[in-house]
Amino acid sequence: MLGVLVWSVQTKLACELLSAAREIDQEVFALAINDDAQAESLAQKGAQVFRLNNQSLEIANTASIAHAISQVVNQLNPEYILLSSNRRGKELAGRLAQIINAGCLSDVRALVSSDGQIECVRNALGGATIAHQVIKTQQKLIAISANCYEVPSDQGGGQVQDISVKVEDSKLRLLSTQGKPSEGVDISSAEVVVAVGQGLENEELLETVNKIANQIGGIVGCTKPIATDRKWLGEERIIGLSGATCKPNVALLLGTSGQVQFSVGIRDADTIVAVDKDDQANVFTLADYYLVADLNDFLPKLSTSL
Amino acid sequence: MDFDLTKEQSLIQKTAKEYAQTALAPRFDEWEEAHNVPLEIFSELGDLGLMGLPFPEQYGGSDAGFDGYVLAVEQICMANNAVGSAIIAHNLGMAIINAFGNEEQKMKFLPPAGRGEQVLSFAFTEPGTGSDPKQITCTAKKEGDYYILNGTKRFISNAQYPGTLGIVARDVDSDELGTFIVEKFCEGYSISERWEKIALNAQGLYDIYLKDCKVSTSDVLGNIGEGFFHLEAGIGYGKMGIACSAMAVAQQAYDAALEYAQQKLHRGKPITKFQAVQLLIAEMAEKIEACRLVLYKSAMIGNNSIKNPHLFAKYAALSKNFVSQNAVDVTRLAMELVASYGLMKDYKIERLYREAIVFPQVEGVPHMQQVILANYILAGI
Amino acid sequence: MKCIVALKQIPDLQQLRIRNREPVLNDIPYTLGAIDKNALELGVQLKEELDWEVVVISAGNEELEDTIKEALAGGADNSFLLIDNQIDQMDSAEIASLLAEMIRRSEDIGLAIFGEGSGDNYTGQVGSRVAEILGWPQAGYATSVSVDGSTAKVTRALDDCIEEVELDLPAVIIVSAGLNTPRIPSVMQILKAGKLPKEIITLDDLSLVSSANQIETVSNLAPIAERKQIKIGSVDELLNCLESAGVERR
Repeated sequence: MLGVLVWSVQTKLACELLSAAREIDQEVFALAINDDAQAESLAQKGAQVFRLNNQSLEIANTASIAHAISQVVNQLNPEYILLSSNRRGKELAGRLAQIINAGCLSDVRALVSSDGQIECVRNALGGATIAHQVIKTQQKLIAISANCYEVPSDQGGGQVQDISVKVEDSKLRLLSTQGKPSEGVDISSAEVVVAVGQGLENEELLETVNKIANQIGGIVGCTKPIATDRKWLGEERIIGLSGATCKPNVALLLGTSGQVQFSVGIRDADTIVAVDKDDQANVFTLADYYLVADLNDFLPKLSTSL
Repeated sequence: MDFDLTKEQSLIQKTAKEYAQTALAPRFDEWEEAHNVPLEIFSELGDLGLMGLPFPEQYGGSDAGFDGYVLAVEQICMANNAVGSAIIAHNLGMAIINAFGNEEQKMKFLPPAGRGEQVLSFAFTEPGTGSDPKQITCTAKKEGDYYILNGTKRFISNAQYPGTLGIVARDVDSDELGTFIVEKFCEGYSISERWEKIALNAQGLYDIYLKDCKVSTSDVLGNIGEGFFHLEAGIGYGKMGIACSAMAVAQQAYDAALEYAQQKLHRGKPITKFQAVQLLIAEMAEKIEACRLVLYKSAMIGNNSIKNPHLFAKYAALSKNFVSQNAVDVTRLAMELVASYGLMKDYKIERLYREAIVFPQVEGVPHMQQVILANYILAGI
Repeated sequence: MKCIVALKQIPDLQQLRIRNREPVLNDIPYTLGAIDKNALELGVQLKEELDWEVVVISAGNEELEDTIKEALAGGADNSFLLIDNQIDQMDSAEIASLLAEMIRRSEDIGLAIFGEGSGDNYTGQVGSRVAEILGWPQAGYATSVSVDGSTAKVTRALDDCIEEVELDLPAVIIVSAGLNTPRIPSVMQILKAGKLPKEIITLDDLSLVSSANQIETVSNLAPIAERKQIKIGSVDELLNCLESAGVERR
């Protein structure tokens, strides 16, 4: 039992999984399901790709995808299976783990090799702690969060071969799919993040915030209440436990809380600059630099200075 | 001896806290400015069973015991002490009907109060007296099946809401005090302009004018001659409520001061490293701990208030005085800790300081509570 | 028909303290996770609409009977509990097999609803594992559920799309945080919760062979904050900070 099998429905995340797989010193196999373009991309990254094309296999059907991958696992017999820890990946992970009798961890942010074991690094206790955990079963299933590993550069040398599985009758039917009303922002891969929280009292100031973000090449993100309660910004901009985890070079935090639910999503930034009118604001404990200022005055000033 | 809450007690506390923090706390300033808490808030509280906590379910209560009442009211006061004060006066109104009303009166007056459609209270104080039965001048004159009430009542809570009011008046025929259940805004009932207070203005306080106000003899509570007894029995609810209000103020002042101390730096060091600050924290914590023990013990005694009214009255006086005076002390210590910030309207302690001062003053001043306490002790209770 | 809502008792994380980077879990009271309350609320809403019965199932230590009162106060009709102090040491796979067995013992089930993950460990696999053991279809990240005869229509919010699927009943539904606002239980409901019907079993009542833990936790520590926390005084200084951190003006 050797090797690492990677799969994600999203090509970018599948590529990141190839990088993660390198932490494990074993042969890497990539799986592409009903996606020739993905198979091609993965091959360009040098991966040995197995292409599974079967039109009765529906991505929406977690049960049948799990059973299909389990058959691939049986054929290739890898020690590790890496999935992406996005929503589909997480839901799939538990079901697949159950079929192949594997221990499973999701929301894993890093793989660390230690004493010949692979430790999975992930948040625990609502983000208050970071746990290092080891899977003890023969086959191990790990779902890895987005943007924790780089997409590897093209190196060629990969090859694509077909693989097939049996698909059983389905108890689930896909009725419709519609794209989320998304602005197509990917806050998690932004180099510069400008995050707003409830300390921003005036919705009109968002315009200034957007302008500042443009001026410094950043993307606007927010704490959960700004998107879900005030509905000022889309949910894809939420940073933290219920949203994206970001690793920008610079994060500018404007009136955000310092609560762990938010901070887990931004604490990996290289530099954090925080602005809040409360000179005792909790968020200052996560900042490298902080400025006490009223956002109503500060934002126009900053925008003008830029 | 067990100092942990039961699951039911902690869930009641949680329900009160969740509702109060989401629905009452954010609107504090708005209602202070309006000098009113909207009536629909009381029906929301009623839906959650928070308007008649200690009373039997068949009379619209929640059967949550006096302990449930104290735990919930403390949480409501933590979020919005003006709403808390209104609920306390309301429960005093319900308590007297529950204790002394006949079955028909209880079924008539209590269920809408428990649902929060009506907000009750009790009227004893007059311009000439706070609690001296001899000086009550409101009169009740029996005419056939009715009593005709005349006079003025002072500083009456919840006078602006629909519901009933237990009014103590002097029966002119017997020269004795009785309690008359008056439907507010009936013919002959009117209220003054509201009083402006040092704090908690959202809880309206009014004078009441009674001019040939007709009350059916079936709405007389208990017997003529029991008016002062009703006050004595019911006031325990009011006093325990005030103790909850004061507890909430002390806790909030302590929390705010502690949070400040943990964040404030002096020459690069947190001020909590200085012993002068540590002493303030310790002194506040000691007082809070002692207050809560007294309050909760008294609450458990309140569960048996019907069997043992004197013991309850004793502990209500003790709690009210001890907690309200300590709340003033804790708030002053918190003020000392945060220095000038304590004076600023943008910071909570300024408001808490004004609120704290309210509680020793109402439902009987400190010395009065101590005399009552001493008399119970000397009587062997 | 019955709607099963599977819940987990977890330490109340709002009361969690960190001492020397170690989480201090002693003496923290147990509560239900926030997402579990969303799952329960969904179950209670379906019950109100379909006249179903809501049964909460849970496995936990001896505190569970008390903890679950919160769910009963929140609108469940009765509870089926597995109480055993060994549960605390079990991992997701074992818990899943226990819950699946408990569900098997119940009859006439339409849906089994799970929260996406528990607040304490967030492994997020129990619902999927149970669905597999039972051979039921599943739909995760459900935002709305409607039942029509022997099928359920579920709208799911995925990473990049909204999907509508139809599942044959019985089925597993998994919800994530924020799909609804759980009701605040009334005092009357709280006081009646302890009197609602319950069935309590122990591990001995389930003939399952316990397996070794699949996961070993090597360490679990609070992260070290290594931020400089330098106070700056002006917008210009802030601009300098941004620039030295690599921000370019556009």
